[in-house]
Amino acid sequence: MDSDDKDKFEPAKQNEDPMDFNSASISSDWQFCGANLSSAPMNLIRPGNSMAVCREDLIGSSSCSSAPMADSFGPALWDQPSTMENLGFVNVSAQNNLSTSNLLGIQKVGPESVRGDIGWNPPSSMLKEGLFVPRGLGTFPIPECLPHFPTDSGFIERAARFSCFGGGNLSSMVNPFGIPENAGLYPIAGGLVLGPRDILPVSCPKPVSGAQSEKNEMNVEACRDVHLAATRGTPQGSSLINEGESESLARSRGEAKQGATAGSSNESDEAEFSGGGGGGQDNPSMLEGTGGEGSAKVFDCKKRKWSGEDAEIDKGKGAPQLAETTKDDGRTQQKLENNPSSNTSKATAKNNKPGSQGSDPQKQEYIHVRARRGQATNSHSLAERVRREKISERMKFLQDLVPGCSKVTGKAVMLDEIINYVQSLQRQVEFLSMKLATVNPRLDFNIEGLLAKDLLHSRAGPSSTLGLSHDMPIPFPPMHLPPHGLIQGGPAGIGRPADPLRRAMQNQMTPLAGGFKEPSQLPHPWEDELNNVVQMGFVGSGGSGAAPSGQDAEGPPPPPSHTKVEM
Amino acid sequence: MAPEDPVTVSPPPPPPPPTPSLKTKIARRFVKSLAEVWTSRKLATEGGVRKRARRIKIAAYSSMARAVGGSRRAWSRALLAKLQGRAKRRCHLRSQRCLGLKRKRAGSRNMVRNEVSGSDKLRRLVPGGKAMDLCNLLEETSHFVQCLATQVKVMQSIADRYSV
Repeated sequence: MDSDDKDKFEPAKQNEDPMDFNSASISSDWQFCGANLSSAPMNLIRPGNSMAVCREDLIGSSSCSSAPMADSFGPALWDQPSTMENLGFVNVSAQNNLSTSNLLGIQKVGPESVRGDIGWNPPSSMLKEGLFVPRGLGTFPIPECLPHFPTDSGFIERAARFSCFGGGNLSSMVNPFGIPENAGLYPIAGGLVLGPRDILPVSCPKPVSGAQSEKNEMNVEACRDVHLAATRGTPQGSSLINEGESESLARSRGEAKQGATAGSSNESDEAEFSGGGGGGQDNPSMLEGTGGEGSAKVFDCKKRKWSGEDAEIDKGKGAPQLAETTKDDGRTQQKLENNPSSNTSKATAKNNKPGSQGSDPQKQEYIHVRARRGQATNSHSLAERVRREKISERMKFLQDLVPGCSKVTGKAVMLDEIINYVQSLQRQVEFLSMKLATVNPRLDFNIEGLLAKDLLHSRAGPSSTLGLSHDMPIPFPPMHLPPHGLIQGGPAGIGRPADPLRRAMQNQMTPLAGGFKEPSQLPHPWEDELNNVVQMGFVGSGGSGAAPSGQDAEGPPPPPSHTKVEM
Repeated sequence: MAPEDPVTVSPPPPPPPPTPSLKTKIARRFVKSLAEVWTSRKLATEGGVRKRARRIKIAAYSSMARAVGGSRRAWSRALLAKLQGRAKRRCHLRSQRCLGLKRKRAGSRNMVRNEVSGSDKLRRLVPGGKAMDLCNLLEETSHFVQCLATQVKVMQSIADRYSV
């Protein structure tokens, strides 16, 4: 289920995202305006109530298909839209519908389904979240997740498009999702606030909401914990919703610290609360239908809560005002809150992005954050990010190429390593050319044979580096000396000293090899033993290190001028 | 660099695969030019070791650059150009290099100091690297390093063969 969902989600996301973003952002903005400026609380509440009704149906069926919902819900919503807010909702929900329907694979054509999904508006937005979150969680060994994001060209586009809006980071990805969530928050919050209010007399809403906010906060924090722990998929979705709401409430109370203590011990409570909070929204069912990750027990809890809440919600259809005021407070508070959270998210590496989505959705909703993120998404910083990615990618590639570079961390050190390696290679080439120059093959040497041998050798052994080490003990010292003495002797004596030295060398060589042609055949039977024996003694100084070191002894006098001229 | 003898053109005994490996390509070219150096009477008699070594080194680099495809890569282009017009353009290059470095410094002032020096060093090492930005430089470096390592292997195997 999980993998299926993911698979479904990826293409769907890519298709749907741009559209969704636009719509979501626009509509959400609109909505905010509507909510803030035009005071239409009653309308606001309505959807929540209707939602609740729908939910009942849903609970009854507890299926992903929103057909019954649509029937029951559509008319209610459509009756209402006398105010801006409702319109806003409709927009959001409609767009959400498109996306969510794609996501779920529930292809419903026609206004009916759309309307029904409008009823789902919160759930759909939640759904996205739920989908999103489980994905992050399911693939929590993050690297797997990661590639989707940065490599997604659409993402960059999107980010650019939302430069005024979304964050530079992945949070921008989350933003669009979160915003619909906000939109969804209205009805949800209505439902939520209403529920408790029903229990308690309406006259004293404040304490109630406060209490709820606390609980919700616990949920929120717990949810975060869950996010990080990546243990549960669905509770998050539902709790995320709660987060949205509860945050607004809880932040208004300014009790952000409680959640820290709310650890695993609160989990059951969380589950319940999330169920309860999410009861306002159709999340759980949606989530489970889509996310599929949800644990059965959580679901049960939710169901229980749902039924309870639905009853409550049905009862309590008053006091929208409170919800709104609290929401407003929450918004302002959240703005303040977002800063630290966003900072933390930035502090976490890119890898954590999918994981940190859980905390992100809370931030997105606020204009302040948008502005901040907008800075990060201007074209320059985007280009810079792309460039940095490229560089790090190539660094990685180089890391594979350069031996001994894999353990090194840090760009500067790695660069140094690479430079050293290139230098050593160049020195090696120089040294080997010197060595080859000192070799004086007979005139009758056979190129074909050389090529064949060379190719054969190259095919037979990647041990060519070893080759150097294994013949080092014998020929290397005399070979190595002549240029040394030669150069130190002075440029004037170049011609002379070379000849005796070479002669001496050949004298050394001939007894060893017993001829020119033979050595090529001789070493082969030996090679294994020699390799084994010599490797032991010489690899330390031999191998790649041997040539540079040998070169170092001789190198410094000639090469500096030499190399610069040559290379 | 290495004019082709009709004798040396004969294909290697193992039939070459459709796309010979980089090592094979490099080895073939290098062996040819090496044979040329070795067989040239003039160098053998009067050149001295150092001159021959220089010739061999040039042969090594040019064979490496050619094996890659000559002008396909920035570094091979730069390397070939440098090797071919080395004597002529020495002064010119030097002045250009100074200018280039100065410009780079000015441009990358806001980068981390260490990285600047590192990348500058790398620029000096990788042929043609002076005109590249860091991205391209790293890409060229990786390719260059690959080829250089292969070249070193080829040379080492040849040296092994003849030095024992």
